Amino acid sequence: MHSQERTAAAAGPTAATAAPYLAVHPLPEGDGVRLSGEVGLVTRSVWTDVLAGAVRARRCAYVLDLAGVAFVDVAGAEALAAAADRLGTGRRIVLHNPPRTLVRVLEMYWPGLPGIEVPTS
Amino acid sequence: MSTVTEPFVHPALFYGTTEEYLAGCLAFVREGLERGEPVAVAVPSHNLRLIEAALGEDAGRVRFLDMQQAGRNPGRIIPGVLRAFADAHPDAPRVRLIGEPIWAGRSETEYPACAQHEALINHAFTGREVSILCPYDTTRLDERSLADAYVTHPVVIDGSGRREESPAYDPDGLVARYNLPLPEAAGGIRLTYEYDADSLPTARHRSVAEAAQMGLAGERLDDFALIVAELTTNSVVHGGGRGTLRLWSEDGSLVCEVRDAGLLTDPLAGRRPAGRDQIGGRGLLTVNLLADLVRMHTVGYGTTIRVYLELPAA
Repeated sequence: MHSQERTAAAAGPTAATAAPYLAVHPLPEGDGVRLSGEVGLVTRSVWTDVLAGAVRARRCAYVLDLAGVAFVDVAGAEALAAAADRLGTGRRIVLHNPPRTLVRVLEMYWPGLPGIEVPTS
Repeated sequence: MSTVTEPFVHPALFYGTTEEYLAGCLAFVREGLERGEPVAVAVPSHNLRLIEAALGEDAGRVRFLDMQQAGRNPGRIIPGVLRAFADAHPDAPRVRLIGEPIWAGRSETEYPACAQHEALINHAFTGREVSILCPYDTTRLDERSLADAYVTHPVVIDGSGRREESPAYDPDGLVARYNLPLPEAAGGIRLTYEYDADSLPTARHRSVAEAAQMGLAGERLDDFALIVAELTTNSVVHGGGRGTLRLWSEDGSLVCEVRDAGLLTDPLAGRRPAGRDQIGGRGLLTVNLLADLVRMHTVGYGTTIRVYLELPAA
C-alpha cells in the first residue's frame, strides 16, 4: 500500500484557493509515512487509509511524519485516537512534528492515550 | 399509591444578602457532605471565596470552579462543568453541584445564551441522581433574569429557606423564546466568504489570517482555527453543503458568524460530553468548549451561529 503515492484531490494546491489535498509518501524500510497537506472533510478517506495501514503494519512503532501537515480537524484526531486504540498493548503510533491543533484536540479528548507518542524534540 | 418522582433536583436560590447566600449554599453543601456525596461549587470568583472561607475544613472535600472562567461561555457549562463532574462519579448515589451562571455584569449579548443554558440543564440531567442549586442575586440582577429563573427551575428557594414550586416552569418555552434573530453586526465586516467542501481550507486560512490581523495570537488563534473548521465542516455535512462566513469585531471580541441552510433540531447538540470511544458528536462540542460565547438562531430556512473570542487588549 505504501509503494504508491496518493492524493485526495485531482488538482494540487493553487495560489488562489488551495483545493484540499493530503499526499502520502512512504518512509524508508516501512517505518511509516510522511504526509503533506491537511486532514479535513475532503481528505478524510486518505487519512483513514493511512491509519488503517498503521494498524495493519504490525510494527512496535509506526511513524507519521506530520511536518508537512498544516491542520488536522477534530474528526481526524478522532480517527487517530480510534486507530491508536486498535493497536494493542506495546504498539504505538509516533507523531513527528504534529500541528499544534492536533496536539490540543488530543489533550482535550484523549489525554494520556497509550497508543500515541509525540517525541518532544 | 406510589408515584414515580424525577430524581433530578434543580432549584433556584434567590438571595438578597451575603448571609442569605451563605445560609442557602452551605446548607446544600453540608447536606451533601454528610451523605457522602461528591460536591462541586461553580460560582463567580468573589462568591467562591465566600463559600470556601465559610466551609472551613470542609472546603477540602469540595471541588471549586470559577464560573467566570469555566462557564464564561454558557454553552460550555453543561459539558465542561456540570456533566464533567457528575460523569466523573458514576458510582455515587447522588452528585451535588452549585452552579451560578448568571451574575450582574453578564452582557445583553450573553444573556439569551445564559437563560437557554439554565433551561437545557433540565433536559441534560433528566432521570439522573443529581442536584444542582442555582443562586440568583435578587438585589443586582434585573427583573427579567429573576422572572426567567421561575421558568427554568421547577422549584425556587427564597432567602429564608422557603421552597416554592414554580407555576411558570416551562424550559422548552424559554429555549424557543430566546431562539431570536441575531442583531445586525455592530462592527464593520472584515471578511465575507462563501464556502463549500472544496474551499473549507481556504475559509479557515482566510479567517485565521484576518483574526491574526485583529490581534488574536498563540493558543487562542489555534482554537479559532479549530472553531472555524468545525463550524464550516458542519455546514457542508449537515447544512446543505455550503455556507457563508463573516468576521468582525464587537466590544473587544472577535465575532465569527456562520450561516447555512441546516436546521438544528437537537437542543442539546454540542452540550453532551464525548466519551473516549465515541465516534462523532464533537463538532459543536469543541466550539462550545473553546469559545468565550456562542449564540445561535435556528429556523426552518437555516441556522446562524455566532462565536465570540475575546481579543487581547491592544
